[in-house]
Amino acid sequence: MRNKKKMLVFPLVAAMSLSMVGCGSTEGTEATTGGDSETVVASSDGNWNYEEGTTITMLIDTDITDTGILAVCDLAEEKLGINVEIEYRPGGTDGDNIVKTRLASGEMADICGYNSGALLSALNPSEYFVDLSQDSNIMDRLDETYASSVTVGNATYGIPVCASQAGAVMYSKPLYEKYNLEVPQTWDEFMSNCQVLQDAGETAVIGSFADSWTTQVVFLGDNANVMNKDPEFATNLAAGTTTYSDSEYALRSFEKCTDLTKFYNSDYLSTSYDDACDMIYNGEGGHWICLTQALSNIYELYGDNSDIGVFAVPADTAEDTRLTTWMPTSFYANKNSENYDAVMAFMEFYISDEALDCYTNVILPDGPYCVKGYELPDNAYPAVADDMQKYFEDGKTGLAMEFITDIKGANCAQICQEAGSGQTTAAEAAEKYDADCLLQAQQLGYDWAQ
Amino acid sequence: MDNKRIYPIWFLAPAMVIFTVFFLIPIAMSLIFSMMNWTFTGMSWAGFNNYITFFNDYSMTIGIKNTIIYAFATMAAKCVLGFLLAVFLTSNIKSKHFLRSIAFFPNIVSTIAVGITFTALMHPSKGLINKALAVFGITGPDWLGNINIALGSVIATDVWKGVGVATVIYIAGITSIDKSYYEAASIDGATSFQQLIKITVPLCRPSVNSVIILALTSGMRCFDLIWSMTGGGPGFATDVMASVVYKKYAAGYYGLSTAGNVIMFILIAVIAFPLQKFLQSREAE
Repeated sequence: MRNKKKMLVFPLVAAMSLSMVGCGSTEGTEATTGGDSETVVASSDGNWNYEEGTTITMLIDTDITDTGILAVCDLAEEKLGINVEIEYRPGGTDGDNIVKTRLASGEMADICGYNSGALLSALNPSEYFVDLSQDSNIMDRLDETYASSVTVGNATYGIPVCASQAGAVMYSKPLYEKYNLEVPQTWDEFMSNCQVLQDAGETAVIGSFADSWTTQVVFLGDNANVMNKDPEFATNLAAGTTTYSDSEYALRSFEKCTDLTKFYNSDYLSTSYDDACDMIYNGEGGHWICLTQALSNIYELYGDNSDIGVFAVPADTAEDTRLTTWMPTSFYANKNSENYDAVMAFMEFYISDEALDCYTNVILPDGPYCVKGYELPDNAYPAVADDMQKYFEDGKTGLAMEFITDIKGANCAQICQEAGSGQTTAAEAAEKYDADCLLQAQQLGYDWAQ
Repeated sequence: MDNKRIYPIWFLAPAMVIFTVFFLIPIAMSLIFSMMNWTFTGMSWAGFNNYITFFNDYSMTIGIKNTIIYAFATMAAKCVLGFLLAVFLTSNIKSKHFLRSIAFFPNIVSTIAVGITFTALMHPSKGLINKALAVFGITGPDWLGNINIALGSVIATDVWKGVGVATVIYIAGITSIDKSYYEAASIDGATSFQQLIKITVPLCRPSVNSVIILALTSGMRCFDLIWSMTGGGPGFATDVMASVVYKKYAAGYYGLSTAGNVIMFILIAVIAFPLQKFLQSREAE
């Protein structure tokens, strides 16, 4: 999945780039410090001073596709003279733990890759990350919706690592053709499609429950539908005046988790995210509900994903169906970094057109970019360019809950896994999740009347 | 105080300093932290709220139940299997030393590696275990996915990995039994089985006690194997106390998870100390 050999290229490229001095812009200035021969490069606006060949560290998780990041890092080495040393960490609960422990103990890498939205605000970012809100080179580039998901209080902390994505249903086009199925517009149509596939002896829905985080996408990916029917839901939830059990639309999200149980592949409890990528690509299952970042993963593995289509988690009527979108993972600059200038130069560079082009050259986006004026490339995946783009053009999208409020129960994945494997009913799952959210609110110090 | 009384205290001092710095102070601190509402953003006094929250938590009930099942099941299996293995390995067989090494081998492998290996072996459709069963026409279950047997599968793995320690303790116990007892018994016409029941079993009681205490306490705080095999899942079906505490910790609820640790410490102490007292009193008889 990862091309770790590329890491070996760094020292080589570092040696090669010693002779190159540049900063990717015609306005760049070059200065040499008096006496010693070390070259100091200033960035395009002359803000950042760092030594050529400075090494900065970056911590990213293994669930995101790193080919694009590696390509941009190689380019940064060439253009900025900054070596980026990548450290990998696991995703999910273990990853949260590593990030928090490293932050608290002052051992964080120079650049930290971590979720946007609710999970970011739980990190107490003002203590650890550089506030970018005064840096117009960065702020002018960020899409407003994205910027608000990495803003806590008045400070903005992140830049997007990749394009945005959706939590949606991926389906196998060959299987749809074989059984003459139409893309479902409503939940009932979706269920009957699943029934057709199951009756024909196919796996109707792929469950990848061995990676518990994937199980919550059915629930989380329904949020745009919930918010469409009940626009005040997020505000009320954050204020503690409503719960998932109380809202008929929100409860529906859990019902969707339990509706799917009978359609999963027989070994769904032991099927991992990687197995599921394999299965959907090979048409071994009709549907898979996951984040569309899987498209890139599949593309990276097989060089093609044109047989995979995407549709939103359906609502009860066609008019009400909305696509739930995810803001990308972000890079945050470590406030206490010794290489502050190099880090900031890299952050600015990372969202420049040049870096984005380089990124897009090796890996295509899983959704629209979060950088202003940067459009989807012509060769985008069909699932993104055709299927997902339609929802954006019709204005039928909405953000996942974690980018609207700070409320996200820590056990969300386990609760969805439990409901999805038929151990609990939707109502019980909603009740458990409400308790989980209440616990988080208490811990975050929200004043919820109980 | 006269010098003769102060004098031996100095011998105690180095040990006491280490014990205080690394055990007493952390225990006191964890008691304090467990009463704080301590998250990544700050800290405030919470009194016993963390304990109340923990006992009302749905995963806590499952956690305590599973921990007790896990600890007692692994202990019982290790006690019995370890003894049988030890008897076999102390009998007159060839390549006894080689077999002893093999019995101990799983114990030196990293627990996480064991967990990952067994997860692969127990995969319902691709795992070696079910493929082997399929040869005999048996459809094996989803060992780690079926909530009714998932905990049992982890327990079996733990026993496979840990039985070596019990075996070694038993071997030490059995070989230290004076041979003259066996000689006397065989002259009196006792069968091997009678010798086993009447001589070996009672005389290796100290080893049994060590095995019980060791297996029980390690079972009570088991975490790594559970985490690498099921992650407490599916859902919360195989959560043990340590994994519940870890999840609270990873979520950033530090005060709450410290409270969970204190509860775990008390639970282990309440079970282990009286048990040890009881076992030692029987040993003395």
